[in-house]
Amino acid sequence: MKVFVESSDVLPLVDVEVGFPIGSLRDPVGREGLAQLAGQLMRFGPRGLSQERFEEQLASMGARLSVEVSMRTTRIRAAVLRRNLEPLLALLAQTVWDPALRASDFAKLKRQARAALTARLDDDQTLGAVCFREALFGAHPYARPLSGRLDSIGRIKVGHVKDFHARHVAHGEFFVGIAGDVIDAEARAIVASHFPSTGRRQRRSPHVPPTRPRPGRHVVIVDKPERTQTQLFIGTLGARTHDRDLFPLIVSNTAFGGTFSSPLMQQVRAVRGWSYGAYSRLLHSTQRDAWYMWTAPAAEYSSQCAALQLELLERWVDGGIKAAELRFAQRYLINGHCFDVDTPAKRVEAKLDIELLGIPRSYVDKHDELVAGVDRDRANRATRTRISTRDVIIVVVASAKDVVGAFEGLAGIESVEVLPFDRI
Amino acid sequence: MVAPESMVEQLNRGARKRNARWTFVSEQPFGEALTLRRFRLGNGLTVLTLIDRAAPTVSYHTWFRVGSRHERPGKTGLAHLFEHLMFGATRSRSLGEFDRLMERAGAEANAATWTDWTFYYENAPRSALPLLIELEADRMANLVLRTPQVGSEKEVVANERKLRVEDDVEGKAVELLYSHAFRNHPYHWPTIGWMEDIRGFTVRDCRAFYRAHYAPNNATIVIVGDFDERRALSMVQRRYGHLPRVRRPAERARVREPAPRSERVVILAAPTPSPKLLAGYRAPPFYHPHTPALVVANEVLFGGRSSRLHRLLCVDKEIALSVRGSISPFVEPGLHEMWIAVRQGARIDSALALLDKEIARLGSRGPTRRELEKAINQLELSFLHTMETAGGKAEQIGFHETVMNDGAAAFDRLASYRAVTGEAVQRVVSKYLRPSRRTRVEIVPRPS
Repeated sequence: MKVFVESSDVLPLVDVEVGFPIGSLRDPVGREGLAQLAGQLMRFGPRGLSQERFEEQLASMGARLSVEVSMRTTRIRAAVLRRNLEPLLALLAQTVWDPALRASDFAKLKRQARAALTARLDDDQTLGAVCFREALFGAHPYARPLSGRLDSIGRIKVGHVKDFHARHVAHGEFFVGIAGDVIDAEARAIVASHFPSTGRRQRRSPHVPPTRPRPGRHVVIVDKPERTQTQLFIGTLGARTHDRDLFPLIVSNTAFGGTFSSPLMQQVRAVRGWSYGAYSRLLHSTQRDAWYMWTAPAAEYSSQCAALQLELLERWVDGGIKAAELRFAQRYLINGHCFDVDTPAKRVEAKLDIELLGIPRSYVDKHDELVAGVDRDRANRATRTRISTRDVIIVVVASAKDVVGAFEGLAGIESVEVLPFDRI
Repeated sequence: MVAPESMVEQLNRGARKRNARWTFVSEQPFGEALTLRRFRLGNGLTVLTLIDRAAPTVSYHTWFRVGSRHERPGKTGLAHLFEHLMFGATRSRSLGEFDRLMERAGAEANAATWTDWTFYYENAPRSALPLLIELEADRMANLVLRTPQVGSEKEVVANERKLRVEDDVEGKAVELLYSHAFRNHPYHWPTIGWMEDIRGFTVRDCRAFYRAHYAPNNATIVIVGDFDERRALSMVQRRYGHLPRVRRPAERARVREPAPRSERVVILAAPTPSPKLLAGYRAPPFYHPHTPALVVANEVLFGGRSSRLHRLLCVDKEIALSVRGSISPFVEPGLHEMWIAVRQGARIDSALALLDKEIARLGSRGPTRRELEKAINQLELSFLHTMETAGGKAEQIGFHETVMNDGAAAFDRLASYRAVTGEAVQRVVSKYLRPSRRTRVEIVPRPS
């Protein structure tokens, strides 16, 4: 166990996080959603306490608790009024290391998880994002849906959850972050009196094979009726956390589509008014994660917007960014970095990220130097090396009949697939 | 901290024009450790300052007392469109320069519009404060409104409306709720405006709106963070002190909107997999003495997983996926909104019957002592969370100043929640949460 404390007496509030370096990449094939269900069932409370009593106790303390599962982490987060920190930590420790994991609660949770998957069909942007990852990564574990699918959830039994908890949480390595109105020594003493002292060190993440691009440009239309507007995701593979050219690529992507002033936003929104928002995101992980652009144009000019974005992409990759754009992106990233650490909770979060995600410490400690050290040549070379203009996935959530012909006509498209929205 | 009176005296020594002369108005504690000061320039510009050195950042807010309530039929959505236009060119700065300068300085700049107000904000490193003051003062007086940009922003807003309303089941339901709950009052129309009104705006409409509402005597500036107060006030004086007051349009007489005598029901068939229920009960305005008790009642019913309705509908009966409630924080009477996402296969009328039963029980027996304690602790936690950053504090101050004429009232709200009794909860539930005061929108799935 490692404990990180950030003290601040500005508000009588404490944020707590217990993080485990395990996540949905541990889900066995066919039982996707297991890590998330395990986290959520733990959230039902400890042995010897009904869920109702557990929720009562949390609320009475002025506390909130959530469990967030990602591909590589499980984070149990709590916030509590200062005066109730110790009882909250005691209850949290019981919840994490001695959870009830009752079969009756699990049956309820599965019904809830299925209902949530159904409700997700209302959210076009989420549908587009899920479909984009599946289309981009294909059979690779990065394509696995965090929340599982209706059929995979059906296959998960409470025994699987108990086994997952016993193997990865009960004796697993973990990290604790405490931020807010508590002094360092006091926080450590309370943690030491309630939390187990050690956890078995384990591999941070299971072996994940390299991601590979799907050759060519492919369109997937998520067909949903009565759409006046479309959700458009266009992208390709992104970066690895340990890539030597990660920072040059971060700077280059910021210049291309990371700010309101960037060419992507200016051309799509400011000049044409085609979408309320337009941005590009670079994701990085142990293997190459995604790079993508997002816009939400009206159906009547969705394909034109996609064509424009592809043109901007080619211009960016082939032509590179200009010296002024590089300087602008660097200043934006360096000057705005103070907002990554402007609260105690964010400062603790950055330390936990280093431990849980294996992010090099220098990315946090020397952020400004790393950004400032990028020159135009490195930025443009990183962009050309990492971002493909040939192997591109385009996902559009739309009423297919309104857009399919126009998307088939986009330059260089090799396939167009139409998927009913309720099959995502 | 320097005494405000002597600081103002020093600052006024060099100010010849009346508009540029400062008045120190008041000083109030803001929580246990901070102090909120209020100053006013001769041209009517109110400035609230809060020094908070927890982080090397500053938050700069400009609140205007104009929102969709101040519009008229046929011109709905103008306040919101204008929020977009304010990021355009000024007499001395080209299109896009505002964002470029802000982003280069590491500032996050954005804005929001609702029924009673519009506000613009920047969260920035402390060194950027002079730039924020300069750019905000510039666009308050020197915005250039021309056809190409108005046309382009109209298209952006039309797209935003499609994103948030036309293609969004919940957005559409909220629009229907307010348009049926209010027949005469401006809360009838959505802040984003009706699509035909958005399409129809002219440059002339925009210029008239700018002249009428964007002026120092209709604005409040809030500065929170790690800054030198004297230097900040000096810069504000220099940048805004030459701006004239304007004659603001007379506040229209309050439009009377009687509470409905019987329930209004709207059915919305939509391409959605599961039914939903949105109910709105006519509620008092934000500043009304009954509002804190209604907020506590809302917390008892909807606040978190131990709340009555979450427990009943989501856990015990399993007919809903999620529930939530909120009271519109409006200057004039709004709605107590309740949202129930019914599960596929369950029925809206079952959810409604349970909702009615639970509200009736709260009205007749009130909350338990434990429920009251939980509700107040949860409200305190939520409040403290809003105060974590300079930006969060500035927003609370600006909101309370604009809606309640008291920027420090955020902490009074917390005290008012603590003073709520079980009997008070019972009284407001019986008074406001009657089905006859309700408008409800039932969203029913339409097969694709």
